[in-house]
Amino acid sequence: MFRLTPDPIAIEPFDSESAGGFVSFEGKVRNHAYGRNVVRLEYEAFSEMAVAEGDKLIAEAAKLHGLTKVQIVHRIGILEVGETAVVIQVAAPHRREAFAGCEWIIDQLKWRVPIWKREHFGDGTSEWVGIGDEKQVSQSNDAFTRQIRLPFIGEQGQQKLRDARVLLVGVGGLGSAALPYLVASGIGSLGIVDGDLVEVTNLHRQILYAANEVGRGKAERAAAFARRINPHVQVQTFPERIDSHNAERILADYDWIVDGTDSLETKFLLNALCKRLGKALVTASIHQMEGQILTVIPDGPCLQCLFPEIPQDGCVGTCSNDGILGVVAGSMGIYQATEVLKGILGIDGLLSHSMLLVDLRTGNSNRLTREMRENCKGCEGIVAELTPFVIQSLADAESRFGRFDIVDIRELDETPLLAVAHLRQPRSELGDLSNIELEGPTVFICATGRRSFQLVDQLRRAGKFDAYSLARGVEGV
Amino acid sequence: MTVHVRYFAILREQRGLDHESLSTDAVTARDLVQHLIDEHGFTLPSSLIRVAANGVFVEEDYRISEGEEIVLIPPVAGG
Ligand SMILES: [Zn+2]
Repeated sequence: MFRLTPDPIAIEPFDSESAGGFVSFEGKVRNHAYGRNVVRLEYEAFSEMAVAEGDKLIAEAAKLHGLTKVQIVHRIGILEVGETAVVIQVAAPHRREAFAGCEWIIDQLKWRVPIWKREHFGDGTSEWVGIGDEKQVSQSNDAFTRQIRLPFIGEQGQQKLRDARVLLVGVGGLGSAALPYLVASGIGSLGIVDGDLVEVTNLHRQILYAANEVGRGKAERAAAFARRINPHVQVQTFPERIDSHNAERILADYDWIVDGTDSLETKFLLNALCKRLGKALVTASIHQMEGQILTVIPDGPCLQCLFPEIPQDGCVGTCSNDGILGVVAGSMGIYQATEVLKGILGIDGLLSHSMLLVDLRTGNSNRLTREMRENCKGCEGIVAELTPFVIQSLADAESRFGRFDIVDIRELDETPLLAVAHLRQPRSELGDLSNIELEGPTVFICATGRRSFQLVDQLRRAGKFDAYSLARGVEGV
Repeated sequence: MTVHVRYFAILREQRGLDHESLSTDAVTARDLVQHLIDEHGFTLPSSLIRVAANGVFVEEDYRISEGEEIVLIPPVAGG
């Protein structure tokens, strides 16, 4: 039964002989909202409709969660801080249904029952917060009830998705398909990297974009698409082409990286950097009506274990030269989203030790087992020709950074003295690397380039992406 | 001996077939790949062609045996 009352709510006895689990929820007026001081609240209801909708809600909750009895009392009028605004009591055969049902009801109540709340702030101002208000439903799971029912998801899995941070590198054919499903499934934070503008030749496969968006930035349009699906998703855009100079910085805040690029060089770069930074990578490629997909996890075999020699772009064909059917990119992009969801939710069967080949023309697919290769450069996080932090000369550094610091890390007895260095800081005296603060691009120099390479490698693994190493050391000056 | 070969991506295109059974006197995966490169003019070097036998990626010195399914996989770039 759903009831509205202008009087303080007294919690009444609540029994149900067929139930073993009883959960009571009390919502009270708190003294702050969105960082502001709240002194009192005012509730106003469209009574007839609120009661009708409330009773409907109770019937649904009973059916959905197997509740044997539900009672909701909602206060209206002016309430002071500390007063009870709503009491929800549910009974179910077991505690699990009782907890889940009670939580479902409070989310639904805020979302759809026509009760408005006016917050009176300490500074004398006030604000109405309506039903379905974004702030109120930000934690609601309503949109995800159909997947929460899956035994391997549940409320816990949904929370994992909400906590997940996924980066889409490239929102072309693959990324266009992965993005809607990742966002719709409730992924909480999404990064989008793409420096391209929408072109008319993209539209047949890059389904995030409409004809009237030609000429606009892909990253920004993809972000708008994501927000239309789920207004609560946190989106960060990187309207730039990912390369060895910016990749570590872009990857830093994300746990799952979806490679939707069409460049082998970028794929191998992402592979090595994900290994270096301990991230998971789902990489896919398409060729006419075929697709390849594999997942690289921190302790599994990598892309370079499979292809030790990095192929040059152009040797295997590209979409622009060879043509591509939209559904093929779409299918593989959805496979990628599936891998990310499996990984986040801990579902078995990740392609972390295999590669899936899909032929959409014949309907054949092959899942091929792959293993780690000893001394794999990719696994070590180092790909010589792509190593992003080796500077060939100080002149290169100057043209790249403008201003930068030079630190000589040779021991104090090493000669010759290096006049260009701003600081002489022997490697043996550096101590804990995580405490080192770099103020802008910093080039480290040693005698041969070997010690500085190792140091910069370690610094970058500790998140210091402003560290660079000078090739050939003092000789290279 | 007879083996069943499947071609993917650019190899399938250049071979003009997605699979075939062929008889070969190749001993290792390397021999077989080199033979197919020579015969069909594949543009990729053998170092960029990966071989899977019966569902598992194998090294180039893998010894192939009668009736095996051999899959040839080149790297693919499109996205
Ligand atoms: Zn590896």
